[in-house]
Amino acid sequence: MEPCLENVKAIRRSKEEKKLLRKQIKASHTLLKHEGISTVSKPTKSLVVANGGLGNGVSREQLQVVLGEGGDVETLIMHPHKPYALVTYRTEVSAQRGHVLLNGRQLQCGDQVVTLYLSYVDTVDSESGVCAVLPPGLVLVEEFVSLEEEALLLDAIDWKSHDEEVTVQKALKHRRVKHYGYEFRYDNNNVDKDKPLPGGLPQACVFVLERCVRDRHVKVMPDQLTVNQYQAGQGIPPHVDTHSAFEEPILSLSLGAKTVMDFRHPDGRSVAVVLPGRSLLVMKGESRYLWTHGITPRKFDVVPACDPESPVAVTSDFSNHSNLTLSRRGTRTSLTFRNVRRTPCDCAHPSACDSQQAPPSPPSLPRSQTDACRLEAEYVHSVYEEIAGHFSSTRHSPWPRVCHFLSSLEPGSIVADVGCGNGKYLGVNPEVFAMGCDRSCALVQICSERGFQAFVSDALSVPLRSDICDACISIAVIHHLSTQERRQAAVEELVRLLRPGGRALIYVWALEQEYNKQRSKYLKETREQAPPGNSTDDHNQETKGLTGNSTDDHNQETRGLTGNSTDDHHQEKKGLTGNAVDSHNPAQDPSSMVMECSKVLPVKDSPVKLSVHTNRTAFNSQDLLVPWHLKDGGIKKGGRVSKMTKDPPIDTKSPVLAPCPVFHRFYHVFQQGELEELCARITGVMVQCSYHDQGNWCVILEKTRDR
Amino acid sequence: MKLLTHNMLTSHVKGVTKGYPLLIKATEVKVSEEEFNPNFVSRMIPKLEWSALVQAADGLGHLQDLPTELIADYEANEDFLRKVHRVLLEVEVLEGCLQCPESGREFPITRGVPNMLLNEEEA
Repeated sequence: MEPCLENVKAIRRSKEEKKLLRKQIKASHTLLKHEGISTVSKPTKSLVVANGGLGNGVSREQLQVVLGEGGDVETLIMHPHKPYALVTYRTEVSAQRGHVLLNGRQLQCGDQVVTLYLSYVDTVDSESGVCAVLPPGLVLVEEFVSLEEEALLLDAIDWKSHDEEVTVQKALKHRRVKHYGYEFRYDNNNVDKDKPLPGGLPQACVFVLERCVRDRHVKVMPDQLTVNQYQAGQGIPPHVDTHSAFEEPILSLSLGAKTVMDFRHPDGRSVAVVLPGRSLLVMKGESRYLWTHGITPRKFDVVPACDPESPVAVTSDFSNHSNLTLSRRGTRTSLTFRNVRRTPCDCAHPSACDSQQAPPSPPSLPRSQTDACRLEAEYVHSVYEEIAGHFSSTRHSPWPRVCHFLSSLEPGSIVADVGCGNGKYLGVNPEVFAMGCDRSCALVQICSERGFQAFVSDALSVPLRSDICDACISIAVIHHLSTQERRQAAVEELVRLLRPGGRALIYVWALEQEYNKQRSKYLKETREQAPPGNSTDDHNQETKGLTGNSTDDHNQETRGLTGNSTDDHHQEKKGLTGNAVDSHNPAQDPSSMVMECSKVLPVKDSPVKLSVHTNRTAFNSQDLLVPWHLKDGGIKKGGRVSKMTKDPPIDTKSPVLAPCPVFHRFYHVFQQGELEELCARITGVMVQCSYHDQGNWCVILEKTRDR
Repeated sequence: MKLLTHNMLTSHVKGVTKGYPLLIKATEVKVSEEEFNPNFVSRMIPKLEWSALVQAADGLGHLQDLPTELIADYEANEDFLRKVHRVLLEVEVLEGCLQCPESGREFPITRGVPNMLLNEEEA
């Protein structure tokens, strides 16, 4: 019996060993292809520790302890975002011991268990630490106040008057804000210089201000204070404090937990600055007037591991990777002291200066490729990036006729959805292989999260092989291109992707919202169902700003509210509308059109200004800006404060309840016949059918076989 | 990004004539089980560039026993179809980048999503 059992044990052990070896080989194979890390079979002093990285939640301290079991560690390199570490032991013997003890070791990291796999590597080069430099004008003074003083200050802030707002703040998961000295205004992101708040600055802060003057950080005592309190996971979007509102310097005292503040230069350079508790940040010159500053909402920061002799700041590359670890955030309170400016700003950075800049001119129809790209970047791409989440939540029902097109494809077809948005159509027919692409990273990520294959690209240059698709769809996309040439180029690109005999379905927004005496759903609700005297009156939408989609978009059918057009131009919750006027006959009787709309003809010399459309009304021009009211405030996840027109921009240091921001998207709405005319200009295609579907002009075109 | 998708993707940097196939440099690869549909796999095969598929799978260390040449009469060969299924649909690159073989330009892959956007100069 006994020898039998022994055999079984031996077999089991070697099976485990084999499994471990397989996993190790797999891990090292992956690393093999990564930045030249090649694993070797002969023991050396250096090892790669797969799964032991900052990138997958393993902290330096934790790993160091574990690695220490092998012997003395000479260097330990951990790149901020990588799922591995590179360790060099003092001796080869220690490395071998480490390998034996730790290969396959499991670590508890938070609520995850991580398994380490170790392989030998050739000598590891520890990158030379680049001396990281703070943005010009920025000074960090550590230990500006003592522990006792910090406690006194935190105690002195009165949050009581905020109680009503607390539930709102909690719901929005937003930082707490309180002002002293001067009142902030939402509508111009500025201070009301004629309305000082009673009480001035709290008595408890006076000693701080006196110390700032004594230490020559500021010449004149500040007269405005903003207190911000951040819980872990809260932040503030990147911004420059309005030039015309405040002088320089701006002084910010950090109390409580440390955090990382990101400074960004317009040219893209970025510096991450660790702000320890009880430190004073002094922003002057470029750091106050030109670089944006913000705090990414996070629960952990990557920070230098030990008390550095070198400057506290590190570059965004964290070039010295032998000195980093994770730091969990705690509650941080900042006291930002500023001097209200009484005269216009005359700084050396006019590009960021509201006193020196003329207000931006309203956009006009582009007359060159460059202008077209710029217009679309501002009025299409950046808007969708900002509104992606909200936008996706309103795109829920696929349109029946698009579904029909997709469902009628042969099983095993390859389909490209160009301008796929949130992936609404990618799962409609599971028998085909669908790939989506969109210009918006945020929207494509949503597709990926839903399990679809998608990539980020421009509709004018789709990175797929020619002749590969059995079918393509492009739903509500081409109308975002701002010149006729670009719209045609987009259709040509679809045609390039098709195999001979393949078909493309294109939907674009129609100028004629009423067709065959029937109004599209986009128009329908306004007149018929909007309650009288409602402050969300359609036609006042533009001036009131706070209106728009103040109720749930999904109920727009029944409530007849203004604001966004749901589901792009119509809501089809109940399946087939029965209203879609179908025709396989491209030549529609023009007299059946109720709406007679004339094209806006541009005057030769002066650029055509783009008008802003009023949602839910008929279009009175073909090229326009269509508003989108972003729900749930404009507090974006650490993104830039984006371009918003007309309505109040968000003052990021002001109390929580910012008004609903409005974004404008560029559209060129198509006239009847225009889309077909466009397709007719392309060689090697045939328009199979065209129709009007709830406020859209649609074509199905086929790539002819004899191209 | 699944290898089926990779097989369709090509570099579209201006001036590049040999932008296919894109080299995969993966730092994170996931293998997951997907429902096997032999008809689907069968129909995909003629649309694939076989050598590009083999090269991609090999580069990721996932070639295993997939034949380097397409076999004849694969439609009826379930064993073969299963191997193809695994490589096409079950291997996913989550992090890394795709490199244009001609220009060297790298396109990052983040959380499974390749970003193929070109700069103004490259388009």
